[in-house]
Amino acid sequence: MSRRTALLFICLVIASIVIQVSLIPVFVRPPFKPDLLLVIMVYLALRESFEVGAPLAWLLGMLDDVCSGLYLGLNAATFLISFLVIKSFSDRLYADSAILFVLTVAGVTLAGLTLNLLLMVMFTSTPGIAYSMLSDVFPRLLVNAFIASIVAAFPGFDCQLESS
Amino acid sequence: MDFLKKYMYPLLTGIGILAALLVFSLNVPRNREANIIERSVLSVLSPLLRPVSRISGFIEDVWDGYIRLVDTHRENLRLREDIRSLNLRILEENEALLANQRLERLLDMKKGVKEPTIAATVIGEDVTSWFRTLVINRGSSSGIREGMAVISADGVIGQTVKVSSSASRVLLLTDHASGISATIQRSRARGVVKGKGEMLCTLEFTTREEDVKVGDTVITSGIGGVFPKGFPIGEVTMVKRGEYGIFQTVSIRPAANLPHLEEVLVVQRGGYE
Repeated sequence: MSRRTALLFICLVIASIVIQVSLIPVFVRPPFKPDLLLVIMVYLALRESFEVGAPLAWLLGMLDDVCSGLYLGLNAATFLISFLVIKSFSDRLYADSAILFVLTVAGVTLAGLTLNLLLMVMFTSTPGIAYSMLSDVFPRLLVNAFIASIVAAFPGFDCQLESS
Repeated sequence: MDFLKKYMYPLLTGIGILAALLVFSLNVPRNREANIIERSVLSVLSPLLRPVSRISGFIEDVWDGYIRLVDTHRENLRLREDIRSLNLRILEENEALLANQRLERLLDMKKGVKEPTIAATVIGEDVTSWFRTLVINRGSSSGIREGMAVISADGVIGQTVKVSSSASRVLLLTDHASGISATIQRSRARGVVKGKGEMLCTLEFTTREEDVKVGDTVITSGIGGVFPKGFPIGEVTMVKRGEYGIFQTVSIRPAANLPHLEEVLVVQRGGYE
């Protein structure tokens, strides 16, 4: 990743966090909040190398945890596992495809939610969280897929990331 | 003859003035009636006056409608800008008025708290939908520590959980991980208010025999040391007693308007490092 790409990436992540924490909650009801960092992570998993992408995916998850709930490391673990799973088969796919990107975001949303739920049930004491999480699955899935489709519609989406 | 020649002008002037005064004096009693001169002049002039008045009207229209409107577009733009800025000012004033009302209520609440408090503004919310937390603009540099009670003008909000130097995360009472020791104000029945997700809580560990009714106010019991005693938590919206079991199911609607919080108070009591 070149210095320019890294700078752009940092700006994008910061902007995403600010939008998710301060802007979206004002206009959108909780079940319809998109997970912008998850979308970025999927993009990285499909386009970026393992060496660069894996730590970034973990860091994105950590950032998600800093801005959410009580459990630091929960989304970090989920993001990293999701990254590794996507990476394991992304080389065999046409990663530039917009449809693949949208479908992968939807799949990771579901998988991430399941993993989060599993980790919380195993390691934390939050009775009743399963109901809240499962009731939000469908809107969350749709919103994340919608955001992914917007990202895929950007000009230059089908260009490869610069590599150093 | 010489005399006439010599004084002709003064004499004519005098006669003229006298004639004028005579005409005037003769017409004074009949000042509302047109005499023959007036009637004749009006009759002669009236056919002429009509088209001239039309022409003058046309000229006036041209003047007012076109020549004087040269600057109207510019003036229109300026006036629109004025209206926009005035509307903005009205909005700002309304916003200031509402903020003033909210802060007044918060101040009233503050007066009822014996412990020192810190006012804070909500600057963010949780990024996910299954956790219920807020971010406020005060942190450890303002004396906030983890485990301090957060209240609003309407009642309990939650407690601080993750504190940085300039911001803190507040765990709302509706979060699944939240638990607040509570009492029913009317019957003094006790229990623990647990979060149930979006805008809902339940009062748990209240035995079936305890007197709890719909509409009862739930307040903090003061047990646990985080929340001072007597702060409103919410109102009982449903009570269900099954045939079996030790406890009853009590649903609570939080007193505070959690989705639209703007200003809160952090009670500087307890907390942990």
